[in-house]
Formats: sequence, structure tokens, C-alpha cells
Amino acid sequence: MKTTTQDEATVSEELAQLSVNNPNLVEMDDPPPPQITSEGIITTDITHKFKAAASTLEPGELIKDGFFTLFESVGSLEIMDPKMDSGCLAPGESLDEEYDVTRPLLPSEVLGIIDQLLCLEMAWHLGYPLSQTLFTNVYIEAMQMPSPTTIQEAHFIRSDDNQGDGAAQNPMFTVLRAYCLGLLKACWYVNERIKSEHYYEEEDFVTNTYHRSLLEDIDRTEIRDEILAARRLLHSIRHEISEEVSQALSLRLELRTAFLRAIELSELRSNPDSLSLPWSQMKAVWAAINKSHHLGKPVPEAFSTKIQRRVASTMPPRPIVHLSFEETFKHFNNLLEDGIEVLKVLNYHDPQSLLNFVLTFQAKKPQPLVYIRTLLQNFLFKDMVILGNLSIRQVLDADLSIVVLPGSRLLDPANDAVEAPYDPRFAMAHQMEVFRQRAAQSYLDIHRAFCQNRCRVRRTLCHSIQDWETVQIDAEDIDQLLAVQLEEQPMSYTTTLTSSSEPALSLPLSSWAYLYKLRLMEWIVQLGFELETYQPDELAGMYWYLSYLAKTRAQHVERIKAFTVSRYNEKRIAGTSKVTKSEEEQHKRSLSYLRVTLIDAAVTWELADGLSCLYTVLHRLKLIPTYPGPYSSDELRYDIRMKPFSTVGLPELPSFETFKNATAQPDTSTADLLTYALRAVEGAKRGFHDGLAVLNEKEAFTVGTHERWVARTKNTLKSVISTSIAIGAVQRALNNNGENNNKECRDDVLHNDLKVEVPKPDKTYHEWWIVPKITVTEKKKAAGGEGV
Amino acid sequence: MEPLPPRVEELPGELKYIQYEHSLEAQYLPAIRALISKDLSEPYSIFVYRYFLYQWAHLCYMALNPLDDSLIGVVICKLEPHASHSPPTLRGYIAMLAVSASYRGHGIATALVRKAIDAMAARNADEIVLETEETNIPAMRLYERLGFLRSKKLHRYYLNGNSAYRLVLLLRKIDPDAATDLALDDADQLLPTPVPAPPVRTQAVG
Repeated sequence: MKTTTQDEATVSEELAQLSVNNPNLVEMDDPPPPQITSEGIITTDITHKFKAAASTLEPGELIKDGFFTLFESVGSLEIMDPKMDSGCLAPGESLDEEYDVTRPLLPSEVLGIIDQLLCLEMAWHLGYPLSQTLFTNVYIEAMQMPSPTTIQEAHFIRSDDNQGDGAAQNPMFTVLRAYCLGLLKACWYVNERIKSEHYYEEEDFVTNTYHRSLLEDIDRTEIRDEILAARRLLHSIRHEISEEVSQALSLRLELRTAFLRAIELSELRSNPDSLSLPWSQMKAVWAAINKSHHLGKPVPEAFSTKIQRRVASTMPPRPIVHLSFEETFKHFNNLLEDGIEVLKVLNYHDPQSLLNFVLTFQAKKPQPLVYIRTLLQNFLFKDMVILGNLSIRQVLDADLSIVVLPGSRLLDPANDAVEAPYDPRFAMAHQMEVFRQRAAQSYLDIHRAFCQNRCRVRRTLCHSIQDWETVQIDAEDIDQLLAVQLEEQPMSYTTTLTSSSEPALSLPLSSWAYLYKLRLMEWIVQLGFELETYQPDELAGMYWYLSYLAKTRAQHVERIKAFTVSRYNEKRIAGTSKVTKSEEEQHKRSLSYLRVTLIDAAVTWELADGLSCLYTVLHRLKLIPTYPGPYSSDELRYDIRMKPFSTVGLPELPSFETFKNATAQPDTSTADLLTYALRAVEGAKRGFHDGLAVLNEKEAFTVGTHERWVARTKNTLKSVISTSIAIGAVQRALNNNGENNNKECRDDVLHNDLKVEVPKPDKTYHEWWIVPKITVTEKKKAAGGEGV
Repeated sequence: MEPLPPRVEELPGELKYIQYEHSLEAQYLPAIRALISKDLSEPYSIFVYRYFLYQWAHLCYMALNPLDDSLIGVVICKLEPHASHSPPTLRGYIAMLAVSASYRGHGIATALVRKAIDAMAARNADEIVLETEETNIPAMRLYERLGFLRSKKLHRYYLNGNSAYRLVLLLRKIDPDAATDLALDDADQLLPTPVPAPPVRTQAVG
């Protein structure tokens, strides 16, 4: 809800005076009709006709065509409403800001203005428009309007205003100007970067520059020279203006040069160590800037919303966004840290590590700012060259090799050179190319999707699964054709999760697609937890569905593994061609990948299973508030909740009956449910200790992102442990009531004895694992028993 | 934030719930605007109110003080075919809901919403949707108690930078086979058309 400083009566009063009801307006003389003369145009004054027609309407009657939508009505403005009409002035108010940019400034005032600009710059990065942030500053406006075309013109005091008194030469103006030059140029680069990548306008960021150039035409080297000159000047006058303040100003100028340098280097997309130098420099400077903030003297009058009247915008004038310096400091610090970190993506090792980089980097809390996220997209995709030097095919083939086709003939680049159409290798090259054409975009889109804001990641993935559904189907056709070329025989296989199967083909390409589709589906559910889309009474069901998906993935990985192992063994035994060292390496790597994926899927499945059972028990004990609601039904709610998955063929969406049964488990006793839950969670724990915890970065496929991955993995482990603690608490309470044989009576006692808190995602160890906090209330106090 | 006015302990008798009609504009529109604007940082022009009230007066309900017929609460809705689905659904939209701060906590908002839902259901609405600010816990609780689900989160949906949840209440089964793009709106495409509609965002019931 919004805050307001007016009470209802005042609002009423103000509204009564507005618009159509305003008697002051009626009393005014009719303005003369405008003189319209244009060659070949005959004008007719229809004022009277219009008035006559309008007089037949009741006030409030709406005349509109079918194209007048809510959008138009929301966009309409009321003239003479000061909140909507940018030209509406209070009595005695001037239209323009009357601040004199030539008035002398104290060094501390320049510092104060710069620090305020830093806050506004960060507010812009966070998503507020320039009109409410940097463009509220009178110096920025004066520098940009009229638009400067040379570095000399780029001054808030233009030479012709100067009238020879040398005002522009004032050292403090030189410093402020240099700062503004560096600031605006950086903003131009940032804005261009964001515009050139995928982002959501007005949601992530507002790219509107309101016809201000952000110094587009001025060369960055010229700007850098001005900043250097200003720093030299500061150095020379440091004794006159206090060493401390001079130093503080110089640091801020250094920040500007370093930022420009960081931006310039990022275009190179190579050699991340050297690219990170200016970022590290900024980080050091930023810490020092924070310490000297108190030296500045704010100049609030140098900022005004009135400037918005000058910027070409349909927006009603809106207040200046005030971000505190403390907030700004935090956000800037994150920006700089993320800026250093994001460069490391350029250290490419393998496609799975790359994907893990993107996943873990974007999962950071708070999520990296949109500039960093677009920078990452730029590194990844610019000109269809991955990370500056890899073709899409290289990355895609490497991924296929890791996941399904280690050492496969299908990925042999030599196939491309075969010209004989009857040679199987000719067909292989062709079919693989058909597949790449089909799958590459979908594959890259996963990375792109994760570069969006978290809400959009989830929404985008909901679309992507439909795309992957067809990728999988198309891939299966190609698999069939390739099986013929490879003379593959159907094979039956047995895994720990499935009994012996019917003889089947390996279908590597569609297996690959299916694996991604399953991961996408899991991510959608997991992001649902993260974004608090599910209410507490849905958690049992959604963790059940997550466990169903993860278990399906585990089974699928086992299938892939069975074929991979068999193919390798065949090759070794057949001895027709020696298994090369490279093939052996690839095979080992693939098995290593399948192993970590299997453990990950198993841990997810077991922890989700355990949590689901725990929530089912809490439901039974009426410790989770449920709202059956007078409208809709559980089945209709299930329909909405599962909408994103309803069109997926495999794995098929469980029926509502199945879901209901799995969530309520009516045939299992509470004690058994808890025992089962604990066992599942213990299984998850083993998966960590024996599996995930012992992996190095190559084995985990987290090269370049291992630290973040380990941290996330540890947080999942903490979730596992806290889940088993929660289960234990309920078990103990249950056991303490062991003498109570009457089930309903016992449940009532438990209901009163236990207190459950379902934490917000940001209050958990891992935002994908909403583990309830369970406390046993003291017997004496146990009375009413509130659910939450 | 301004301190809230003291809440009334007891309602002044049974409130009158009446359906809005155009002839009531002069009497009630200023009060409706005042009540709704109070919780908004950005104002809506009169056209926004008229857009809804003129076309869907029958989906607008007011709660009136029985003593003097003054406005205590209001709900404003629309009901239209929603075309980005195939087949299109008849989608109700709760655009604005407000209850005067001193009268909150008496179930007035819930009563208003129920009247609106009943009216839309009677006109064959398939589903009812709305958006509410993520920080507006009372509003979300109200709707969730009635059976609404959060279908998605909308990042920085409001001009103040806050995110929103889309809440959905499905009133009848929609044939999944007939739909091609069930999950989502056209606004969900990977490459969206920029500039989303400025949100209508009044759910002031806390």
C-alpha cells in the first residue's frame, strides 16, 4: 500500500476542484481559435458544433471506440491536476528551475553534489528512469542542453554565457564538470549495453534518455583527458582547499576513469584477469569514497523535478528517487563485486561448467544488477560467438559429448568432409547439422533465460518447456535415422531404479533434450519456492511434484548411463578399432557428469520427498492453515498450478486424483510417514557426504564457479539437516503421546503442543527448500493453538 | 507514513451494499476517487474510473454507512474475453478495492469482493484475476482465503519499484486440449513488446 500525506478530506477537496468541475476554468474567457494556415488545407472552426454535440451528453458518459483500452485510459492525463499535468503551476510558482549554475561552489559542495549524483546513478541502475534520477540535476541538464557536439561545448557553463569573466575556469567547476563528463559517458555505455541485450523495459530498467545525448558524440579519450586534467588541478590546489576534500574529490574522479576503462576493456571478451583490473581499482576507490562521504555538503537546490518539464516525456512529473548513501554504498559494492566475478565466465572450460556458472551467478542474492546481467549476455552471445572465441557448434557438441555421446562417431568433425552420399558418415554429418539447427537456439535460450530477473526466469522457462517438448520429439526422429546409419541394435537394460526394460534404442539426441526439459521443469518448481508463489498449504503437493520430477530425471540419467557404458564396452571388446586415449577421456568425463547429475537428482528427490511427507503430517495436525475457500475447488486450483506442465507429454502430468492421494497419503499412518520422511532425508544426506561433498571442480563441472556451487550445496545440506530436525521434533511429540490411542484426540494434543512457522524464502538456508521451523510449546501454555 | 486513523470498534449498524450505476456518478465518484487515491502514490485520471464504471457499473459495489449513506468501501471490476488464450476465456479482473482505513478489519472488503465475484460468476466468468503488491499482506490473505492462487510474480510491477503477484481464481474447468498456450499471457513471450500497461493497483484493504 502506498503512503500518503493527505487525509481523505483534503484529497476530496482537491479532487472537487479539478478538471471538469473546476469553476475557475469555466469563468475564463474562451481562448481565440488558433490561426491555422497551411497551403492546400482549408480549416473549419468546429468549436460550436463540438460544443453543441457535447452538450447532449451527461457528465461521465463515455464515448470511445473499440480501440480505447485500459492502457489508453491509464495513460490519459487530467489538465490542471498538479500530479498529472506537467505544466500546472501553483500560484507564484515559476515554470523553470531558477538555480544559477554559475554561482560559486565550495569544494565541500561539489563533493556533496557528486555524492548525490552517485546515489541517483545507482537509483537509475536499480530501474528508476533518468528523469527521476540523474536528470533532476541542474548541472547535468545544463551540460546536455543544448546537446554538445564537442568536448568544449560539454560544460554546464557555455562559453557564450561566460562573458569573459572566466567563470567556467573556476577550479571547482572544472572538477564538477569532469565528473559529470565521466558520469554521463559511462551512462551512455551502460544504456547501450542494456539496450543491445535482452531485458525488460520499465521492469528491469528504463532506457529512455529523453532526447539527451549522454555525450554520445564526445570521444571517451577526450573525456578521460579532462578528468586527468581535473585531478592534476586538484593536486595543485590541495593546500588551498583542504587536503582531505581534495583527496576525496580526486577519488571520485578516479572512480569515473576506472569505470570508463572497465567498460572499454569489457568489449574485448578475453583475458579476464586484465579486464578485472579497473574493476578492482574501482572497488578499492569505492571503499575510500565511503569514508570521505561525510566531508561533503549537500546542495539539495541543485536538484529539481522541474527539469522534467523540459525532458520530452509523457510522464507526469514524478518525485526524485532518494536512495540513501548507505544503500548506494551497498549496491555499488555489489555491482563492483559482481563486475569482477562476471568476467570469470570468460575462463571457459566446458559447457556444463558454463551453465553452472550462469545458474549460480544469477542465483546470487541480491541478484546482480541488470547492467551486469546484460554484460554476461554480451560475453555469452555477442555476434553468435560464445565467450569471444567459441562457435555455437563447439559448445553444443561438447555438451552432447559430455551428456550422451562421449567419443561418438556422430560428433567426429571429419564427417563433414565426406562427400560420398552413400557413406554413412555423410548422412551422420547431415543429420547432426539438422539437429544442431533445431536445438542450438533452445539450448542457448536456457542461458539467456537465466540472465533475466528471477520472476522472468520462471515465466520464460514456462514457455521454454513447450519448446523443449518439440525439440525432444524432433530429436527422436533424427535419432531413429542415425540409429540406422550406426547400425545400432535395440538393447534392454537394467538400472538400480528400473527393472529390465524392453529392448530399446539409445536415442541419444532426444535423451539429451529430455534431460534438459526435466531440469527446466524442476527449475520452474524450485523458482516457485524461491519467489514465494506457493502458499504454505501447497508445499506438500509441490514438493511431491518436485520429487516426482527429480526421480524421473534420476531414472532417465540411469538409462543414458546404461547405453553409454554398453557402447564403450562393445567398442573395447570388439577390438575392431582401438579405443583412443581421447575417447577414453571423454568416456570417463561423461560418466563423471552422469554420476554428479544422478546424485543431484537423487538428493533433490529425497529431500523433496521428505519435506512433502513432513508437510502432509503438518496438514493432518492442522498446523498449516488451509483455505478451502467458498469459490473454486482443489481440483481447479490444481489445474491452475500445473498449467505450465499440462501440455508436456513426458513425463505426463499426474492426474488430480494421483496428486491428491500422494499429498494426503490417507493409507499411511502419521508415524510411518515420519519414519519414511526421515529415511528419505537421511538418503539425501548420504548423497552429500558420499557424493557431492567430495567432488573437485572438474568432477562437479563447476570450473570457474566452484566456490559458489559449494556454498549453495552446503546450504542444501543445511536444509537437509534442518528438515531432519523438524521431522524429529514432530516424532518426539508423537511418541510423547504414545499412550493416547484415540487418533483424533492425539492429533488435537499434537496440534496444541506444536508450533509451526513456515519461513519466507529469504529466511531459509536455501531459497528452494522451505523447511518449517517446529517448536514444542510448553504444556502449560498450550491453549488455543494458532496455526501459524 | 501518516498514522492510521483509529479503527471503529463497532460498525454503525448493518452496512448497505449497493451496486453502482451511472446515475450515482455525481453523488459517489468523487468519494470513490478520494478513497482509492488515498493509497496511491500516483493518481489515476478520471478516465480510468469512468473506463470501468461506465462499462461495468454492474460489477462495481459500494459499502455505505447506513447512517448517512457515505462511502466506506468500493470494489471496481471488469469482465471481458481474454484473447491471448486459445480458446479465449471470459476473464474477470478486480481492478480496485478499497475500504476506508477506520472501517478495516470488519470483513467489508471480503463482502465486496464476494459480491463482485458472484456477479462475474453469474455472467459466466471462467476465471478472475488481479494483481496485488507483494507487500500487501492483508489483500493477499483476503483473496487467498477466497480460493485465489498466486500464479506468478511480476518483477518491479509498480512505479514505486515494488513487485506484484498475479492472483487467479479459476471458476470452471477449461478444456486443455482446446488451448495452445495455456500457461501464459502474450506478455510472457521471451521477446516482449516493451512498455507494459501502467498497472491498476488498488487493493487497499489492510
